[in-house]
Amino acid sequence: MRTFPASALFGLALALAGITGAHAAGKTLKVCADPDYLPYSNRAGEGFENAVAETVAKAMGARLEYVWDNQRAHGGYAEYLSRNLDSGKCDVVMSMPYGNEEELTTDPYYVSSYVFVFKKARNYSLENMNSPDLRKLKIGFESDTPVESGLQLRGMVQAATAFDVAETPGKSPRSMLQAVEDGTVDVMITWQPAIGAFLHDYPDLTTIALPNTRATGSPEMYSFPMSMAVRKNDEALRNALNQVIKQQQAALTGVLHQHGIQIFGDNDGSASPSHQMANL
Amino acid sequence: MPSPSVCRWRHLSAIACLSLALPCIASADDQLDKLSQDHNQWVIPAGNYAGQRYSGLNQITADNVKNLHVAWTMSTGSLRGHEGQPLIIGDTMYFESSFPNYVYAVSLKEPGRILWKFAPQQDKFAPSVACCDVVNRGVAYANGIIYANALDGFLYALDAKNGNVKWKVQNADPKLGQTQTMAPLVVKNVVITGVSGAEYGVHGYVTGNDATSGKQLWRAYSTGPDDQLMFDPDKTIDGATQKPVGKNSSLASWQGDQWKLGGGTTWGWYTYDPKLDLFYYGTGNPGTWNPTQRPGDNKYSMSIIARSPETGKAKWVFQMTPHDGWDFDGVNESILTDSTIDGKTVPTLTHFDRNGFAYVLDRRTGKLLSAKKYDAVVNWADHIDMATGRPVLNDAMMTKENVNVKGICPSSQGSKDQQPASYDPNTKLFYVPTNHVCMDYQAFNVKYKAGFPFVGALVNMYPADHGDVGGRFIAFDPISGQTKWEIKDRFQDWGGALTTAGGLVFYGTLTGEFRAVDINSGKVLWHFKTPSGIIGNPITYTYNGKQYVAILSGVGGWAAIGLAENLTKATEGLGAVGATATLADYTNLGGTLLVFALD
Repeated sequence: MRTFPASALFGLALALAGITGAHAAGKTLKVCADPDYLPYSNRAGEGFENAVAETVAKAMGARLEYVWDNQRAHGGYAEYLSRNLDSGKCDVVMSMPYGNEEELTTDPYYVSSYVFVFKKARNYSLENMNSPDLRKLKIGFESDTPVESGLQLRGMVQAATAFDVAETPGKSPRSMLQAVEDGTVDVMITWQPAIGAFLHDYPDLTTIALPNTRATGSPEMYSFPMSMAVRKNDEALRNALNQVIKQQQAALTGVLHQHGIQIFGDNDGSASPSHQMANL
Repeated sequence: MPSPSVCRWRHLSAIACLSLALPCIASADDQLDKLSQDHNQWVIPAGNYAGQRYSGLNQITADNVKNLHVAWTMSTGSLRGHEGQPLIIGDTMYFESSFPNYVYAVSLKEPGRILWKFAPQQDKFAPSVACCDVVNRGVAYANGIIYANALDGFLYALDAKNGNVKWKVQNADPKLGQTQTMAPLVVKNVVITGVSGAEYGVHGYVTGNDATSGKQLWRAYSTGPDDQLMFDPDKTIDGATQKPVGKNSSLASWQGDQWKLGGGTTWGWYTYDPKLDLFYYGTGNPGTWNPTQRPGDNKYSMSIIARSPETGKAKWVFQMTPHDGWDFDGVNESILTDSTIDGKTVPTLTHFDRNGFAYVLDRRTGKLLSAKKYDAVVNWADHIDMATGRPVLNDAMMTKENVNVKGICPSSQGSKDQQPASYDPNTKLFYVPTNHVCMDYQAFNVKYKAGFPFVGALVNMYPADHGDVGGRFIAFDPISGQTKWEIKDRFQDWGGALTTAGGLVFYGTLTGEFRAVDINSGKVLWHFKTPSGIIGNPITYTYNGKQYVAILSGVGGWAAIGLAENLTKATEGLGAVGATATLADYTNLGGTLLVFALD
């Protein structure tokens, strides 16, 4: 594990303390967030997106204002963006895969990946979607993700159990870990940032990241560089956010680690999210 | 076990009369074929086994249609898309609503009086796996029984007299992504149904159930080994080559086990030729949407298949779109007529495919006789090679991984989707509701659902040339490729057509205009704005010697998925919202049956 520099923690501390300081500048950063969807965000500010938003607002010298709305209401995230970001109620969302073309994304500020989650004691030999062990196991996965396509491609999807956390308001991604704990499934394949914050409550579980692969002939993407997103025409804000990401990368990385997010490249100590893009 | 709720019923004298008039006829097809020749009734969803949607009734004519007015109406009790049509058996009308799939028997004697209503208790999960709105395309009838598919995959046999469930079987399982939207076809003593759900990797099939008991007689898959396909490698003919398909011809066209999720669903309109004893249907897109991930021709997705109704065995198969990269499902109806080709009369089937070509095949053998574009903007293929039956592709319009392709025509909705065309034996022309919509296809866009990133194709649909014509209703000769006339519409023409001996063709628009058109000139002679957009199919019948025309109004379906599901993002609903973004300015949801008559 890479250890994060002290400045990151310092930045975090400032962010948590510094909301009032921003008033002076007269700027407001209007962030769209879900009031009840941990580990991403909640009204009490406990999610990693809250922490990221605070870090960014602080660095911009802006007052942080949340526009709360349910991301998992009818029509899902697309309608959420339409209602809040596109309509101008808020100006930025904290999570969007880099390069998405429905909105305007910033430079990526972290890269994470889908992971296998299972009980350490089981000692499964899982390296990728082609690992023979996987065929013997009860698999759980979040529907409509690259994992579903990967299972489909291998004829394994019908025997697996689909979870639908992203479209079930009120359902915590923690339920994915609980399913492993209960033995409902042997292995859960899910987006690490969705469950990272809860892993400390399940010390008997372990995770292994899925590599991107071309094993079946066509690219399968399991790790994603993640950005913030603004409205398509809002290049001014995008540029300002890019500046912040560049300057505050260490602080942002610290915040994410603090919230249990495993950042792709943590293990090999390699470079920034932008650099990681080259491998995808 | 879900118990049916039958609201109200009466004994119907009409059914009794009917069975007296046609005593003890052994097989349903004989009886139905004869009944369908009586133009006073409408006993098969497509009017007759040939799927012509033509009626010999001629009281309503080009001269007097201006006097057509509403006779009676009733709400279907369901908000979503109505892609079906009523049946008329004796003095009773039967129809099915969109989900929750109410089935009604309505008196013609006391117009609008509900004799019985059947409401299936359904798997609540079903609507969430229906790709393109929770539509239904209607009930079928034979021997005193109404056959109705519910979205959750159950096929119900309802006593036409009282709505009591005689039997039910589950032919599709929503938990496997399978749903049912199509109208069954009843031939002899077999009820034939398909399956929907290619979006979820369903392994497509068609099922024959015993009409009396519901027992499954056979099930024939669209992809896989010969035994699952019910293909005889030595006898089943490949329409394109006119030679036997050979051993495991489907398997050879897929990589590895991918055929197991091969798609090829079967949710369109079916037709039947009593003389050849063959029924005809089409198969949908191959499984896994990304074409790069499934090399090969992906047989027999995107194909027309001719089978025996009693055994399920395949006589011939013809694939329209090998290795689909556009979602050009081959499920559209095959209309059976005689065609004169080079001076010879040939029993043909005419099929207006989603891919923009009007295929004419010899329906005895599947031999390709003609394949002309029925919309000039079609650009994914230059033409169909008559020697091989294969499209000659425009490489620039093929969807590929990591390649953005702009201006593909038609869009995934096709030059025509399920909206059934009609035929007029007098003009020998086909009357075709079409989509005039193109698309930009971005093969790989990174996307986000709340909390989870993923990769998905981004499809944007818009009227051809970014103009204001999204649909064309055309009179078309598939042999010459000539369009005799066209009516331009703002949105896709997603409702079916009806031709009558009165020199008229009826159809409805997505904005809800129900129209009577002069069959020779294409002039709109009469129109009526119905409460909702029309994606249903007109029928005509007589009661007490007077001609009526009926239509289901109730917008939805893929054409209006944005409106149906209250979505605003252009990329939702398989891209269909973009094409109909302002439909909400013209109409609203809600199912209504409307019946029209002269004074």
